[in-house]
Amino acid sequence: MKSTIHYLFFAALLGATTLSITACNDLLEPTPVQQLADDKAITDAGSARSATIGVYDRVQAYYQLNWPVLGFLPGDNVRFNGTLNQFLQIDQNQLSADNVLITEAWTQMYQAINGANNVLAALPAINDPLLPAAEKNQLLGEAYFLRALVYFDLGRGWGGVPLILTPTRSKENGAGLRRSTLAQTYDQVLADLTQAEALLPETATRNRAVKAAARALRARLHLYRQQWSEAETYATQVIGSSNYRLVTPYRAISTAPFLSQESVFELTFSNSDANSMWNNWFPSALGGQFNFQPLPAAITLLNDPATGGSRSALLASTTINGSSVTYGNLYSRSAQRDDPSYVLRLAEQYLIRAEARAKQNKLTDALADLNAVRSRAGVEPSKAATADALLLAIENERRVEFAFEADRWFDLVRTGRAATVLGVTDQRRWLFPIPFNDLVADPSLEQNPGY
Amino acid sequence: MKSFTLLAVPAAIVCFQASPSFAQSAAAQTVTGTITDASDRSPLPGVTVVVKGTTVGASTDPNGQFTLSLPAGSSALVVSAVGYETQTVNAVGGAIRIALKADVKQLSEVVVTGYSEQNRKTLTSAISSVKGDALKDIPAASPDQLLQGKAPGVQVSANSGVPGGGIFIRIRGSNSVNASNDPLYVVDGVFINNTNLIATGLGNQVSSNPLADLNPQDIESIEILKDANATAIYGSRGANGVVLITTKRGKAGDKTRITFNTYHGWSKAAKQYDLVTGPELAELENERFLNDGGNPVQLPYRSVASGGRGLPEEQPTYDRLSDVFRTAQTQSYELSAAGGSDKTQFYIGAGYFQQESIARPSAFDRFSLRVNLDNSVTDKLRIGTSTALARTHRNVSSNDNNPVGVINSALFPRTNLPVYNPDGSYAKYGSFDNHQALIDNLNNDAVGTRVISNVYSEYRFLKNLTLRSSWSIDFNDMYENNFNNTLILAGQPRGTASSYLSRDITLLNEQTLNYNVELGENHSLQALVGNTLQRNTFQRTSLLGQQFPGNDLTTIASAATQTGSSSRSQAGLVSFFGKATYSYKSRYTADVSVRADASSRFGADQRWGYFPAVGLGWRLGEEGFIQNLNIFQELKLRASVGKTGNQAGISDFAALGLVQGGANYLDLPGTAPLQLANPNLSWESTRQWNVGLDAAVLDNRVLLELNYYDKYTSGLLLNVPVPRKTGFASVVENYGAVSNKGFEAQATVNWLNKGPLQWSTTVNLARNVNKIQKLAAPITTGSRDIFRLEEGAPLYSFWLYHQTGVNPESGDAEYEDVNGDGQLTVADRQLVGNAWPDYFGGLTNSVTYKGVDFGFSLNFEQGAKIMNMNRFFLVHGGTQSNIGYLREQLDRWQNPGDQTDIPRLTTNAASNNYGGVVQNLSDRYLEDGSFLRLRTLTLGYTIPKETLAKARLSSVRVYVQAANLFTLTPYSGLDPEVNSQSGVSNTKNFDWATVPQPRTLQVGVTLGL
Repeated sequence: MKSTIHYLFFAALLGATTLSITACNDLLEPTPVQQLADDKAITDAGSARSATIGVYDRVQAYYQLNWPVLGFLPGDNVRFNGTLNQFLQIDQNQLSADNVLITEAWTQMYQAINGANNVLAALPAINDPLLPAAEKNQLLGEAYFLRALVYFDLGRGWGGVPLILTPTRSKENGAGLRRSTLAQTYDQVLADLTQAEALLPETATRNRAVKAAARALRARLHLYRQQWSEAETYATQVIGSSNYRLVTPYRAISTAPFLSQESVFELTFSNSDANSMWNNWFPSALGGQFNFQPLPAAITLLNDPATGGSRSALLASTTINGSSVTYGNLYSRSAQRDDPSYVLRLAEQYLIRAEARAKQNKLTDALADLNAVRSRAGVEPSKAATADALLLAIENERRVEFAFEADRWFDLVRTGRAATVLGVTDQRRWLFPIPFNDLVADPSLEQNPGY
Repeated sequence: MKSFTLLAVPAAIVCFQASPSFAQSAAAQTVTGTITDASDRSPLPGVTVVVKGTTVGASTDPNGQFTLSLPAGSSALVVSAVGYETQTVNAVGGAIRIALKADVKQLSEVVVTGYSEQNRKTLTSAISSVKGDALKDIPAASPDQLLQGKAPGVQVSANSGVPGGGIFIRIRGSNSVNASNDPLYVVDGVFINNTNLIATGLGNQVSSNPLADLNPQDIESIEILKDANATAIYGSRGANGVVLITTKRGKAGDKTRITFNTYHGWSKAAKQYDLVTGPELAELENERFLNDGGNPVQLPYRSVASGGRGLPEEQPTYDRLSDVFRTAQTQSYELSAAGGSDKTQFYIGAGYFQQESIARPSAFDRFSLRVNLDNSVTDKLRIGTSTALARTHRNVSSNDNNPVGVINSALFPRTNLPVYNPDGSYAKYGSFDNHQALIDNLNNDAVGTRVISNVYSEYRFLKNLTLRSSWSIDFNDMYENNFNNTLILAGQPRGTASSYLSRDITLLNEQTLNYNVELGENHSLQALVGNTLQRNTFQRTSLLGQQFPGNDLTTIASAATQTGSSSRSQAGLVSFFGKATYSYKSRYTADVSVRADASSRFGADQRWGYFPAVGLGWRLGEEGFIQNLNIFQELKLRASVGKTGNQAGISDFAALGLVQGGANYLDLPGTAPLQLANPNLSWESTRQWNVGLDAAVLDNRVLLELNYYDKYTSGLLLNVPVPRKTGFASVVENYGAVSNKGFEAQATVNWLNKGPLQWSTTVNLARNVNKIQKLAAPITTGSRDIFRLEEGAPLYSFWLYHQTGVNPESGDAEYEDVNGDGQLTVADRQLVGNAWPDYFGGLTNSVTYKGVDFGFSLNFEQGAKIMNMNRFFLVHGGTQSNIGYLREQLDRWQNPGDQTDIPRLTTNAASNNYGGVVQNLSDRYLEDGSFLRLRTLTLGYTIPKETLAKARLSSVRVYVQAANLFTLTPYSGLDPEVNSQSGVSNTKNFDWATVPQPRTLQVGVTLGL
């Protein structure tokens, strides 16, 4: 009995020791099951597709909340009605370099750029029979387009930024690289858009980049650079395409299933990839947080048949504690949570061309473009007769047409009218601050003046 | 490779020590005896009697009697029992009587150390012991919370008053920035997981404390290993200190004792938020309106007839807070049996604990079972198990950073706004939910299942040489089901639900070879070597559902949209270790230990870490020249130095450059870069030295223990910020250093230790100075970046604008212009204080007179700062259009000449009073969080044995106790023990709509059958 036990015990112990030694390698080299090594991430057709989708996902991340907020909240259509000071600063045009929303947007944007750089670096070398040349070109074109979009947004938000064009494998990537000028940043955008336009297909897809999306962004780029004839040329290419038309009623742009014929590029969300933007606009009685509240002036403009027309559909009201409260209703899909983020619309191409034409003194054509947008909204045609009157009418049109999209602030900064219209007289406040934390981490980065 | 070198050591010891084992084999004679308590002559059961220098022994039966065979040539018996002084007597054969004296000397107790036990006399490490008796009766769910104020240098504070919620515990300060600062917990030899598994978002709090799975009533003792000499044997897991929890076991020869223990408690909040009334709120709003340049005709609170919201004096006041706070009940029932024969000993305990939060609707309950068994299969082979099973249930709700939290939704909405709409539905304002809707409808259930089990076998090759092999599992499982119906915001618009199953499993195999010998009179040697293999697996499955047919169908099966996800991660640790203690005449002691660890988390070439330590002890009191002084009954000097490591708290694959899936778009799978590679990633290591002194004077009436330590942690596992243009925000590197230096003192005074009246007091005091010695770049953290890590400053430093005052003429706040550039920018934010106390400690007093016992315990912290976010939000000067005011706002500046630190009401950004660049991040909301708290006050009565004899009970004690009866503090918030952002690393003392520590009255009874 005893000896049996002893024997068993020794056997068990011996087993344990043997196990100890053989188990070491298993124990010490577990394989991650939900991540991939970064240098093996883009190797074939499937992984190239996934990596490109991943770039869209990162662009979607900053367009979901932060970018629209930075576009409308510093303007005069929306006020902040919540508790978070970072939004209040944006609303009051009193940004500081430690604003966490600014930091978040800046971080997400460079994540998207790194994603695009990874695709652009790895994709050309892939030879996979499952990846036909046309698709390979499309994926490359998409990466170029998305990188252009992010650098364009960085440029109009912060001015010239560091131009990183290769994938990051170590933190030394881009060490010492300083901010480029705004012109250099926009030149890079142009270069990427030129590549994108050549590579992308001429289809009518609206939630992935196609040739028309590259052209539409290029029209906007030229507008921002005051290159009027190029802006007109590229806007005309988009407007002339049979794939696009202004839809009526106005609300059709933002009505499910979305992807209306007016949309040149929008970022689609779905219930499993949800957009909770509605939650910021709806009053708490309707389940939202009511962080963003349309200002009375904007409510008046939208509800006035002479200015807003059918764009009054951007507003809705409900009764809270006996009194009527008006709220923004562009992002309204509280149950499905699939409101898209609107990036490029045909109406903007009309207004770009109107402005470009007005600047070139083609007043009749300019007026026609403006009135195309107005008549779609059911508003009387404008009778603006001079270039200045036209430009002001276009500015006002943009205010109501893109009331809750990422436009108003950038538009007034672009035209230099942010002081007159919004009272932001300190021009240094027209650019966002570089995040304070990043200045500390990156000695070659320079802050914008005034912060 | 290293493994074989280390494994060779036990073999050498086996060969070297083969000879002494022959001593046992001669003829024997029988000794019997009775052992009694020296003071009352009552028989003592369970006393161990061992023939000196051998393992031959017995223990006494319930009548205090024993029988054993005395080997020829031996006559000395060593008689020992817990709580009594050990005696050595000469047995001359026949019946002997031995009276044991109660031991009041803390210094002679046996202390559990890493993988062994040691007499406190020869201890060279800094180890605090807390006996189970000192922990009983405190109405807290988890054992770590019971340590509050009990052990010097151990800072324990509850993050909130939520039962079963997270605890902040630091042993000798914080070493680490991004790795964990929590100690390692070892329960009966099992390294247990201490990661919160609750996945439901509850603001930023750590929602559960996994230690609450242990029933405090099962605990025999807790040892806290503090210095490197004590913790180096735990190597890469020892840097934050080690808490060894030993549970109760049966004793050989003990008659089965059955104990029933119960208590019931009633708890309330000791203090309440002080909000303005409706009329006051209206006055403030009108004043703000005028200050902002509003037209006096258009005042918001003017008569309804003129289109306003009614005159200020017409405004009603609604009290929401009283709906949230309640008198909460706590109940505990515990039944245990312990005993054993010579061969088999057991302890069985079952408990039920239930505690309500003082803020509705949270609650916690726990069923627990424990079985500890030991069996001697043969003389040489012993097997056994320590197994605990617990099932916990939490009804959780969110607080802080969450406008849909219960306290938030009662505290923040304006007091003049009604709770219900005219139609009777719940009224909701701004971002906030309706508190009553939450109380009535919150449905968040978290059910935990925990098994901590260890089986071992121990084989004694030779008299002094024992091999032990043990296999352990810590299985921790959390199953959460949440349903948000349409009456609360989280359930909009048609109901939402989530379900999580999280599982954290640690498997552990361990071998130790123990060698123990007394060489002659003077030399004793204790040595061991061992190895462990450990694997940890974490996995989680989550399911989300939206759009339900109604509020009665609450499982995801009924949802129109169902989405799910799962994740898994794994880590391994391989270790070899050894230690030896040599003692000469119990006067000079030297310890040496080393551990080698390899972790899967690090780069292949950086995997192994070595953690050595040495300790020296000199019992000066045994030297003639000290004894001649006739002052000291004990005087010992200790010194130790060593190195320990840390790898906890970083991700399992932190060294690899990775791309992660889940970056989806258009419901197509997408991948995106996740983290940068760092193949050089390795341990962070802490070097610590410690010097200490133990003394006993005045006939053992005064016992003193002093320690001074110096820790330096280098190669921090740090999320080093990288330029964001790289597409990453940080990379994990071994960079940076943190130091902690401090002293600990503990004094026990036995005022009266003889006779019927006994009185003793223990007081402890500690100071820790924490400093970041090296950092790549400042790092901000926490809500609104309120915390900032900077080289030269301590962790948990607050980064705010320093308000110099309020201009008596203009009423605007003025801030220090740190860089003197004449304008206020982020460069003027500065470190204005930190959350570390200068001193902290506790005092325990106990008095017994015959059957009556009276005790109290205090704990205190001095000098820590608290950021009071409730004031930050509720003293907003009008900038928050959906939030009410604390009464403090009434002290605002109103007229030229007013002296106050609350600036003029205004929303004007340029004034920076409440908004603007400053964003209200003024240090006027940073407060002194010092406190002195009467933690417990207890009065008990033990009924005399004679009275009980008829009732067939062996013992009965009844008691009443008050917990947190008073707290002296300058802090204006509800409670200075607060840590709302416990889930955010590198933050502390942040008060934001958090459940305060309750004041509790409790009655209890303990029955011995």
